Amino acid sequence: MRRFPLGAAALAAALFCARAEAAPERADLCVACHGEGGVSALENVPSLAGQPETFLALQMILFRERIRKVEPMEVVMEGIADADIEALARWYAALPPPPSSPVRDPERVARGRALSAAHRCGVCHRPDYSGQNQVPRLAGQREDYLLHAMLDYQAGTRQGTDTTMQGVLHGLSPRDLGDLAHYLATLR
Amino acid sequence: MTPLRLAAAGLVLLASPSLAQAPAQAPAWAQGRPDHMANSPLAPHAPKMTVTPPNEVPLDRLRVPAGFKVELWAHGMPGARMMALGDRGTVFVGTRVIGRVYAVTDQGGSRTHRILAQGLTQPNGIAFRDGALTVMAINQVLRWDGIEGRLDNPGAPADLTAAFNLPPDQHHGWKFTAFGPDGRIYTNIGVPCNICTFDRDRYALIVSFRADGSDRRIEARGIRNSVGFDWHPTTRELWATNNGRDWAGNDEPHDTLHRIRRSGKDHGFPWCVGSWADPEPSLGRRQCSEFEQPAASLGPHTAPLGMRFYTGTMFPEAYRNQAFIARRGSWNRERMSGYDVVVAKIDGQGRVTAVEPFLTGLLDENAQKFHGRPVDVLQLRDGSLLVSDEQNGVIYRISYGG
Repeated sequence: MRRFPLGAAALAAALFCARAEAAPERADLCVACHGEGGVSALENVPSLAGQPETFLALQMILFRERIRKVEPMEVVMEGIADADIEALARWYAALPPPPSSPVRDPERVARGRALSAAHRCGVCHRPDYSGQNQVPRLAGQREDYLLHAMLDYQAGTRQGTDTTMQGVLHGLSPRDLGDLAHYLATLR
Repeated sequence: MTPLRLAAAGLVLLASPSLAQAPAQAPAWAQGRPDHMANSPLAPHAPKMTVTPPNEVPLDRLRVPAGFKVELWAHGMPGARMMALGDRGTVFVGTRVIGRVYAVTDQGGSRTHRILAQGLTQPNGIAFRDGALTVMAINQVLRWDGIEGRLDNPGAPADLTAAFNLPPDQHHGWKFTAFGPDGRIYTNIGVPCNICTFDRDRYALIVSFRADGSDRRIEARGIRNSVGFDWHPTTRELWATNNGRDWAGNDEPHDTLHRIRRSGKDHGFPWCVGSWADPEPSLGRRQCSEFEQPAASLGPHTAPLGMRFYTGTMFPEAYRNQAFIARRGSWNRERMSGYDVVVAKIDGQGRVTAVEPFLTGLLDENAQKFHGRPVDVLQLRDGSLLVSDEQNGVIYRISYGG
């Protein structure tokens, strides 16, 4: 386990406790992987904070119905009531979005920006990549998760609420996807 | 753009062959979008897959003609779409995204529902005959025999997928399914794009099969995606709704109603909708007069889906043998349209003389906001009419008199 500076850990604990009063009962299901405050510290696990409420609710339904197949999520979501899904979606949508990752490679950022403009990602994901309705926020999402999600869509192993992502990613190379993820993770 | 940024973009373009050309394939719903619409905010509306509590169902908004009454008949079924009626009165309901098939039963005036099947890939096609329920999902055909005797434990279905051999494409791959008066089973094969060139013997069809999936026959060609059809009660001709393409403008092309007088005729997609020739340059031009003409316009982008001819005696005589059509409502239009049920009035010669509103109120024109999305209509044996609302996961019942 990574060591945190004591001060930061105390601050994080204080923030979490302050929020915990309002957190829905089922949020305890999510914290271990998706992080305190919905900001993930785990590889390939997305941050949930600041995602559109409709997107969060629909994805939880897809997990519960085993249409989007990710093993840990199928277990956690099994039999969950709609009211719990709605409460969780409201809760995570209202949390402040994750901080952006620092720019490590300006060339890849530029390439990712150009790719995302060419493929018009901002039409559905909004020009600031904050997402809307059934379309997720991309800005500040974990880079490894963004790549993982795009590879899943491209391989046809991930079902969304429609077929848009399979179509739009058709023909993009692994390098393209990597640069897109790298760019989007740096956005705030 | 500043010269500096232009230069930087130019460098990037040179460095990356995949950027030097347009995307290899736009998402199907965005294909055919002209450059001047590149930044249009129009996109398909989000579905709702959680239960809508009865007190939040927009029943108060619904309007029907004088003498008719509309009530909430069944609720709590997210994604409820196509309906089929069993011999013993069970109403079977298909869905798309949520992957479920529901069964609604009536006990002494109140309805309960069960989830008969789940985890399917868009099980939209639902048909009942000889005690058996046939469900068509994307590239999957399942049949539960004797279903109404074992709703609580339906067991494993017979898998007819291989016999039907439907295309695996997801886009426009969801089915409408019904048995014809000839005992054959009919379904649509939509085109896997918005607008494109494609194998015209494989897509944009209405096809029929023997009930076991053999003997495929093309009933209609050049129908972009029909998610609703029925047979005229006296002429036995097949009539079908059809969804026109997106991104050709707010008022073009129109969605249509088709009368299919003879099997195998060509209705014009991708080149024509009636006399409207598609301007998409990659298609080439054809004379629209060489194709079958639609029986009626159902309005641009309104998404007409489920349709049935009315054969009951509860409604006034003027509705007999007329087509009720559910219009799910537009997304690819700046002003919303549809979100209602209309009646196509058809005269003795099979001509459509009018298309009139029947169930309205789900579209708030001023706020440009919709409150429900009608997908299918189904006549019950007492002559009342059910309407499914996918967005609210409910079924309304419309009755007359009493």
